Amino acid sequence: MRWNDSTATVVGIGSCLPDRVLDNDDVIARGSLDTSGTWIRSRTGIGRRRYVPPGVSTGDLAVAAGAAAMRSAGTAPDLVLLATTTPDHHCPATAPAVAHRLGLDGVPAFDLSAVCSGFVYGLVTATALVRAGACNTPLVIGAETYSAIIDPHDRETAPLFGDGAGAVVLRAGPPGAPGAVRAADLGSDGSGDQLIVIPDGGSRHPPLSCTGPADPYFRMRGRAVYAHAVRRMTDSARRVLQEAGWPASSVRAFIGHQANQRILDSVADRLGIDARHRYGNIGELGNTAAASIPLVLADDRVHASLEPGRRTLLTAFGGGLTWASAALTWPAAAPCHRPASPGTGSSPAHLLHDRSPS
Amino acid sequence: MNTILEHITTVLTEKFEVPADRITPRTMLKDLDLDSLALVELQVTLQEDWNIPLDESTVTPELTLGELAGVVTALAGPEQESGHA
Repeated sequence: MRWNDSTATVVGIGSCLPDRVLDNDDVIARGSLDTSGTWIRSRTGIGRRRYVPPGVSTGDLAVAAGAAAMRSAGTAPDLVLLATTTPDHHCPATAPAVAHRLGLDGVPAFDLSAVCSGFVYGLVTATALVRAGACNTPLVIGAETYSAIIDPHDRETAPLFGDGAGAVVLRAGPPGAPGAVRAADLGSDGSGDQLIVIPDGGSRHPPLSCTGPADPYFRMRGRAVYAHAVRRMTDSARRVLQEAGWPASSVRAFIGHQANQRILDSVADRLGIDARHRYGNIGELGNTAAASIPLVLADDRVHASLEPGRRTLLTAFGGGLTWASAALTWPAAAPCHRPASPGTGSSPAHLLHDRSPS
Repeated sequence: MNTILEHITTVLTEKFEVPADRITPRTMLKDLDLDSLALVELQVTLQEDWNIPLDESTVTPELTLGELAGVVTALAGPEQESGHA
């Protein structure tokens, strides 16, 4: 997909991170894991991650990040798209409740399930909806509480994941504007659907019909996923750069899904993107799945080092298997941040004006 | 030494910084101080360089470099043995 005439531009950026920080030793102690902080750091690049406190859900993080993005944009969205692996409930979708709590009653609102590729899938879907005239100012949120689906005793997954949410507001605009989405590439390979999976609790193995011990936790075959992630993100990023007509050497911000630092380095090395143009947060936040890329987009340190309009490459890989890439220019919007709070009832005026950008 | 083994040697020395004097056809991968993700990285590299369906489960720590070269040769076809990656 290439959008050289009209497209959508990122005009608002927001984030929400829980306050609770767990370092590698905390995760090891919590799950009695047979590993070390050094081992985790060397294999993944992860040193810390955030967890929500009891009572705070994905929807709560999404409301806070969405409100922050609305404040950054200074506008009220007319559609809410929530990318998540960890909805508040199997049914209904979480996005309508998020829209309601943001004071956006009546707007279209739906969840998008593409695991770690979800935010880029959502960004591309929302861009296409803007171009089609279906909406004007969509709010795209990536929000996750993996702490709710991780087995703390599983060494393969427990050290990797964290909680958080990031969001953007889009608006129709010319391809030359800062924040313009210029090209996209989406794909999937369902033959690998068991490589990243929550085995039980869905309609394949309903919770009440499991004959043996049910496994409601997120599981991942790490080595196989590593190989797929490197190949799929590299190929998808090459396709989207070709669609955009951008040489890899012209990319000034490479933001890959924050799955594993070694995967990110492997992909960027293959693309030929210099280390100084790679941005991420995996050391501090771990893998926040659908929230990982929008959390980098909302990182004040990244905004301090990039000028609006710089060529930006997003690429993601996740369960499904799915992959997604987007070529956009670095937005001019200043990110806003909000803490999460459980419960309901916040008014849109309250959400738009109660905290300055930081 | 055949071309594929030479290529594997080049990858190990240049990309993984394995000293050349530690590499022989009888050397096992587990003796090269490569962790499990480095073995996956080696598998993906060989998969790309030779355009072969090399499975991640094939590249095990107990595999010798000679055996690995044999697996790649079998997947790439015998004509590749004297060709280029």
